[in-house]
Amino acid sequence: MDIGFSPDEARFREECREWLNANVPSEKRPINAAEAIEFDKAWQRQLFDAGWAGINWPREYGGRGLSIVQQVIWLEEYAKAHAPWIGANFVGINHGGPTLILNASEEQKAWHLPRILKGESIWCQGFSEPGAGSDLAGIRTHGRIEGDELIVNGSKIWTSFAHVADWQELVLRTEEGSRRHAGLSWVICDMHTPGISVRPIRKMSGQTEFAEVFYDDVRIPLANVVGGLGNGWKVAMSTLSFERGTGFIADQVKQSQEIEELIATARANGTIADDRIADDLAQMRAEVAAVRAMTYRNISEVMRTGQPGPEASVIRLFTSELGQRLERMAVRLKGAAMLDFRYGDDDDVSDYLRGFAATIAGGSAQIQRDIIGERLLGLPKSR
Amino acid sequence: MDLTPNDDQIALVSATADWCRDHMAIEDARSRSDDLWQQIDAMGWTAMTGPEMELDHATEALAFAELGRFLAPVALLSSAVAARWESRQGRIALAVTEGNMLRVLDGSDASTALGVVDRRAMLFDLPAPLSARSSLDPTVTVACFDEPLSAHAIADARAALHLQLVAAAFAVGCADAARDMAAGYAVIREQFERPIGWFQAIKHMCADMAVRAAVARSQLYYAACALDSGADEAAFHVAAAKRLADQAALENSRANIQVHGGIGMTDEALPHLCLKRAHLLQFVVPAERSALLVIA
Ligand SMILES: Cc1cc2nc3c(=O)[nH]c(=O)nc-3n(C[C@H](O)[C@H](O)[C@H](O)COP(=O)(O)OP(=O)(O)OC[C@H]3O[C@@H](n4cnc5c(N)ncnc54)[C@H](O)[C@@H]3O)c2cc1C
Repeated sequence: MDIGFSPDEARFREECREWLNANVPSEKRPINAAEAIEFDKAWQRQLFDAGWAGINWPREYGGRGLSIVQQVIWLEEYAKAHAPWIGANFVGINHGGPTLILNASEEQKAWHLPRILKGESIWCQGFSEPGAGSDLAGIRTHGRIEGDELIVNGSKIWTSFAHVADWQELVLRTEEGSRRHAGLSWVICDMHTPGISVRPIRKMSGQTEFAEVFYDDVRIPLANVVGGLGNGWKVAMSTLSFERGTGFIADQVKQSQEIEELIATARANGTIADDRIADDLAQMRAEVAAVRAMTYRNISEVMRTGQPGPEASVIRLFTSELGQRLERMAVRLKGAAMLDFRYGDDDDVSDYLRGFAATIAGGSAQIQRDIIGERLLGLPKSR
Repeated sequence: MDLTPNDDQIALVSATADWCRDHMAIEDARSRSDDLWQQIDAMGWTAMTGPEMELDHATEALAFAELGRFLAPVALLSSAVAARWESRQGRIALAVTEGNMLRVLDGSDASTALGVVDRRAMLFDLPAPLSARSSLDPTVTVACFDEPLSAHAIADARAALHLQLVAAAFAVGCADAARDMAAGYAVIREQFERPIGWFQAIKHMCADMAVRAAVARSQLYYAACALDSGADEAAFHVAAAKRLADQAALENSRANIQVHGGIGMTDEALPHLCLKRAHLLQFVVPAERSALLVIA
């Protein structure tokens, strides 16, 4: 065991820092959806051009082919430099792309992966439906095979960035009469296809970042199926393992930054004199250190065995709840100034309101606890 | 950077666990044989931290977490510290101080006790014979002193951190033990015609136990490596490990009793042994808030 970084890694960190210091945009990411998307795309393009997109993606698809340790170093420096949130590129970079790398045909990879890295195509995730949230196997959106096409009907909901996306990871039922996990397929859906309509939904924090999506006889080429017709459940699980396993590393490393800023704020405004606040900050500083230790351990595991250990679900659950405690602390330190919040503000209050998603989206905290109980501890399956 | 244990460490951990299972089972914790210490000594766990052994803290933390899982004698903690920094051999009792009161734990047959006062590790000379009696933790005896004992400080300031680290390792082991007891019982105990672990109220309690233990263990490894590398922030990381390990041990122990129902609060069943050990460890170099809030 060793917590040090090699001279190469240290040099890499230095490079990251220098570039970020010189290039992180001084203006904030706009809150308005249309402007935000332009901002996200431009920033992603800038990252790509400078060689910072897809640090651990294979070279043949435009990545740097470096290790996950370097990816983490990049994310640590990224957080320290207050670089912009990944925004609309989240799905493509963190789980759409990785799912394609693992499951897609050469043709699909060659076309889509470089475009994701360059910020040219924005992806969204069409898994959840009005009747199928935690119970993903209950989805009803279906595609009938006609010639070399699927004719898709149904609807998806809570689809983040659907209103600005070019492509979608769409999981749907392609076998008539199939039930539960069988008969599903994971397809690449062009969001500009006729028959798709999108109804954006506003969050309680004011942002319009997700949407309901309706499919009315939408034609998708069968060539867009990833991992084979009827194998959708398996491919979807690999998407979720990227989303839950490594997709949140950026959040984890950001917490190290956030706790330091909270302590500095509490010192500056005097609230640290309150014993309960001081103690909660001390507690969270210990917890944030542990998250970092767990993240390092998890990536050590990836380096050694090629995949995250079974404890990835523990990190995911713990980080999501710790993130909410940090956000709660930020508004606690604000006091009654919290009441001045209004839609359009992008601050600690909107982060706090938006942060409720951490224990709902991508597998709720309850589902994560089921997974830990069943897979880590061997308790009987409830579902 | 690599935070996974290497092959040697994995081998040591499994050898330690095997030996403990055969010779120091929790089931027998209340009636341990008089020569358990001699056996532990003969196996080398008391001498393993001696300076000539050059054992790193990372490996040590792993071994102590295993020993802690079996509620090993707490004098192992103080003896390990005395061996590393003062080349002491044999049994050194564990001292816990609060105000003017000094409590000597596991003091029989010991002439010296080791504890931390004001962030300094101290060696206390013990009178003989020691009038020790049973304590909250049935595996441990206690002798109380309200008069100061003659003492000297260990010169190296790292000795105090070392005691905090190995105590955190014991607490991590205790948290693991409680988690495994609860999960094990949740699989075999049936009510309403199914294992109680089928019910989410129980399953999620067990999941939280797994989270607390995993969080504390990760921080423990990291802290041990930080101490090994002489990093400036080692004191912070060890304090963080101790705080999280103590919480994990206590909360897991409590949850374990709840998972067991009525039998969980009996003297005969094992869960209270974890709870009582967790309370004891809480008083061994507790993590101070100031150490956790120190400016990096
Ligand atoms: C901000 C945000 C962004 C999202 N983005 C996307 C996206 O881009 N793409 C996408 O496909 N989806 C997205 N989602 C949807 C998300 O995956 C679902 O919200 C989530 O899976 C939960 O489903 P649900 O909302 O239907 O809640 P439900 O499944 O109805 O759950 C309601 C409550 O019941 C609990 N519950 C459900 N089943 C069980 C059980 N078996 N045991 C115990 N408790 C249970 C849940 O934990 C929850 O507390 C997003 C959600 C949010 C909040």
